Formats: sequence, structure tokens, C-alpha cells
Amino acid sequence: MTPLIEIDRLSHTYANGVQALRDVSFSVNTGEFLVVIGLSGSGKSTLLRTINRLIEPTHGSVRFDGRDVTHLTGEALRKHRAQIGMIFQHFNLIDRHRVLNNVLYGALGRTSTMPSILGRYTAEQRARAYRNLDVVGIADKAESRADALSGGQQQRVAIARALMQDPRLLLADEPVASLDPATSHSVMQYLERINKDLGMTVICNLHFLSLVRQYATRVIALKGGQLVFTGTPEEITDEWFQTIYGEDAREVEIR
Amino acid sequence: MKLRQTLLASILDLCLGAFLLSSVWRVVLPALTDLPAPPFGLVDVAAMVLAGSALIVIGRATGGSLGRAFARGALPDRAIGRRVTLHLGWLTFVVAVLTGWIVTEISPIEFFSGNGLSGAGRIFTALATPNFDIIGLALEAMVVTVFTAFMATIVAVPIAFFLSFPAARNVMSGSATERSIYTALRALLNITRSMEPIIWAIIFSVWVGIGPFAGMLALVVHTVASLAKLYSEQIEDVDEGPIEAISATGANRLQVLWFAVVPQCLIPFLSYTIYRWDINVRMATIIGFVGGGGIGTLLTQYQGLSKFHEVGTLVIIITLVVWLLDVASARVREALK
Repeated sequence: MTPLIEIDRLSHTYANGVQALRDVSFSVNTGEFLVVIGLSGSGKSTLLRTINRLIEPTHGSVRFDGRDVTHLTGEALRKHRAQIGMIFQHFNLIDRHRVLNNVLYGALGRTSTMPSILGRYTAEQRARAYRNLDVVGIADKAESRADALSGGQQQRVAIARALMQDPRLLLADEPVASLDPATSHSVMQYLERINKDLGMTVICNLHFLSLVRQYATRVIALKGGQLVFTGTPEEITDEWFQTIYGEDAREVEIR
Repeated sequence: MKLRQTLLASILDLCLGAFLLSSVWRVVLPALTDLPAPPFGLVDVAAMVLAGSALIVIGRATGGSLGRAFARGALPDRAIGRRVTLHLGWLTFVVAVLTGWIVTEISPIEFFSGNGLSGAGRIFTALATPNFDIIGLALEAMVVTVFTAFMATIVAVPIAFFLSFPAARNVMSGSATERSIYTALRALLNITRSMEPIIWAIIFSVWVGIGPFAGMLALVVHTVASLAKLYSEQIEDVDEGPIEAISATGANRLQVLWFAVVPQCLIPFLSYTIYRWDINVRMATIIGFVGGGGIGTLLTQYQGLSKFHEVGTLVIIITLVVWLLDVASARVREALK
């Protein structure tokens, strides 16, 4: 079976000269819950964005389902993105719009311009939007304005929006970094359920090792843009922890 | 210093020297001695170049020069250079004030002379005893002015809206072609904006004839240019997060603009638009002076006939309406925040 994602000797240098990724290679199989750890600025966010190609890497290749997507453009690029859901640290909802509409925006990649701008979504799309809100337990908020919701609720709307894409992969960039511990677990549990019940592959950037141990099926670690660790959560010993986060680092628990 | 900076500094110093010399020689001295300045000739040019060169030489020797300070964006490092720069700065300021005083023909004697004061008395008395017989006519003209401003805003908003996207740097960062469209459009908008509405009013009063329509067209041009700039700066200011999120769903460019950028901009756009209408009412009044119709045209007519009681009526109405609109627009904009 070919892996869902194959990253081969991937490097990325930003226009301002910052080298965010150096020669990173790994692959991800369907159904995995892969967590990427590393300090801020270690290249985690860049790595995620090269997969759905919000960023075009400067060297190396990204293969998705056996197909090289490294340099896609135009229609092909949009089709590629439409298969991959993404959630963000700051949720990135359209604040002034209703929750239901925010979820429907997940279907933009498969809706042509005029109907979407006129708000002409199909009955099937609306029904699916409600179902996806139900998956994350906030169907009752469908008519609220997005910015009226709490942080945790907004992140769940963002998950529903990603599910609306019927994605084959879910990318989560620090999904709980701006949430309190209790809400963090709630959001992580929804991601876990989507991974286990729907069998969806998840790649998630995380800061807290306690969350990593609880939810990841596999872990990779980046340091200064390089891949320094691949293994199971149990294999992250204190020694590895020091290597990844530096000598002075102390592990903080989130319960 | 880099070559380009040195070149810029030298050109500035040359101009400054020429300005100082010709100001003193052709404006200040003739005014003090009451002798007319000799006709402008080759000698003057030579003297100006010489003075400019002197400043450049001083700049070279001591590092002290206004041109150098401007080109570097900082004062020179050496103490002597700083002192020279500062002294040159003061000298330039004093010469500029003296020259300004003379060329604007400032004359306290005329301001306080018996003749002048009695004229002031006449006009203030007339303004303070307005003729309210013309109130109907005046209000009618004011309505025309307010609607000239209103229609100009209404027509300008959609045009400015569509222009503001290609005039926003973050929207047009895709390719070299896009960046050059952005640059060209921004330059065009800046040039259009630098031309005062009163000039556009003169152009349009010849084009479509004197009247409110000419005034409206003049305001449309200026409003499009300034709103497009304000709108596009707002677009450049939006949060990138939603743009990323909508792009990640596979949305196309128009969809990203419509769903991620526009919702973030609508309220500020509305606020700018109301503010602009407020400004347009003031401008519509002024534009009336050169044939833009409405209360401004009425005002010039009465002023031409020296009917200052009627002018007084118009001044009261204009002041009242402008003040009311100012308060109203400020309140609405505050509520929109």
C-alpha cells in the first residue's frame, strides 16, 4: 500500500532568507494520528502548509496518494487543497458571518464562483453542514454569529468547516495553543474521534507533550527545520526531550 | 555615504544655496533698501550655482549640510558637522520666514488702517444682519449642494470598491504583471487625488456646462481616487488568518476575496464612505464658486453684486448644515467602531 503522504528531502527557504525546513523526509499512512512537535520557529507550521500547498517548497517533493503535488498550480492546486481540511491556532473563522455559513465555506472548493457568492448552496450541502456541526456537538449554534462563540466552540466550528470538505486528511496547526486546558482536551477528543471513528488521517502540530502522549499514534520532531526524531509517543524519553527542546527545557503538564 | 545618497545630497545643497542667495539678493535686500531688484540674468544664475557649490564644499569639509542630513535621514556623526547643520537649518528657516513675509505682502498697516477697519465694520454688520427674504432660494441651493455631494458619493463608491482590490499590495503580490498593475494604479490614483476637485470642476463645467452636474462629476473623480486609496489600505490591513483558511478549502481567488477579505472590510469601508460624504458637502460648496452649482454658485453671485446681507444668510446656512453633518457623521462612525 502506498502511504497517503510521502515527503522527500523537503526544504523551504522564505523570500526573506529564513530557512524553515532542511531536508525533511517522512511518510504518513492512512489512518495515522501523526503529531509534529518542536519549538516555535522549528518549521512545524511551514511543514503543514507545504502539504496542502499554501506554501510551495523550494526543494524536495510532496506526494499525496502517490501523486506529486509539489508544484501544482491553478485548478489542479485548488482541487488538491479541497481534499485536505485544515484548522488553525486562531480558528480563522469569518467573524461577522453565521456559524452555518462558516461551515458551508468548507464547500467553496467544490462550488463555482457565482452560486457561492450569491449564497446558493444546495439542500444537500446545507444538510451536510448541519450534520458536521452535529459531529462537533454545536448544531444549536448554527444561527449564531461566529464571533459570539467561545474559543473552544470556534475551533469546533473550524473542524466542522474542514469536515465539510470531505477531506482525506486533516491538518491541525497548533489547534489548542490559544485554548485553556479543559477546552484543549475537548477539542483534541473531537480530533481523536474523527481519526478513530471516521478513519481520517490527522497531522497535528502540538506544544504540550502530555497531549502528545495521550492522542498521537506516532510522533515526529523538528529542530531548526530538521527532522530529529521519529517514533511512538512512548519513545520520547527525557533525553530526547532535552534534544528536541534544549537543555534548559522543563516539561509542563496539561491535564 | 552611498553614491546615490551623495548625489541626492549635492542636488539638494545646490538648490538650497540657490534659494538662500536668490532670496536674500532678489527679495529681502530690495525690500529693505526699497530698490527694485535688477532684471534676472546670467550673473544671478552664476551666483546661485556658486552659492550652492559653496554649501556642497562646506558639506564635504565638515560633514555639515542639510542635503546630507536629509539624504541619510540622520544628523552627521561629527560634532562640528552637527553644529554646521544646525546653523544652516536656522539660517534657512529665518530666510524662509523673511522671504515669505515679503512675497505674501503681509501688511499690518493695512490691517489696522482706518479705511481697512471701516470696510471690516461694513461687511461684519451686513453679515450679522442677514436678509432672510432669500431663505427659500438659499435652502433650495443648499439642498442641491447636499445632493450633489450625496450623488457623487453614491456613484463613486462602487467604482472605488472595484478599484481598491487591484490597488492593494497583498491582493496583487502574485506575479510581476500584477505588481506592475498595482504600481500603475496606485500612481494614477495618487495623481488624480493631487488634482483638487476645484480643478476638476473647472474642467467639467466646460465639458457638461456650469451646474450641479459638473460639480458632481468633479467630486466623483476625487472621491473615487481618495476612497480607493483608503479602501485599499484597509484591504492591506486585513488579518491573514481567514485568507489562509478560505484558501485551504480550495477556494478560487474571487471566493477568497469575497469570503475572507470583504467581510473584514465592510464596516471600515462604510465608515470611510460616510466621512467622505461629509467632506463632499464642504467641497461641493467650494466647487459652486467655479461653476459647480448649488449654494456656492449662489454665494459668488451675491458676493459679485456686493449684496452682503444675502451673503450673510448663505454663510449661516452653510455653517449650520456643515456643522450638523459633521456631528452626525462623527456619531455614526463612532457607533460603527
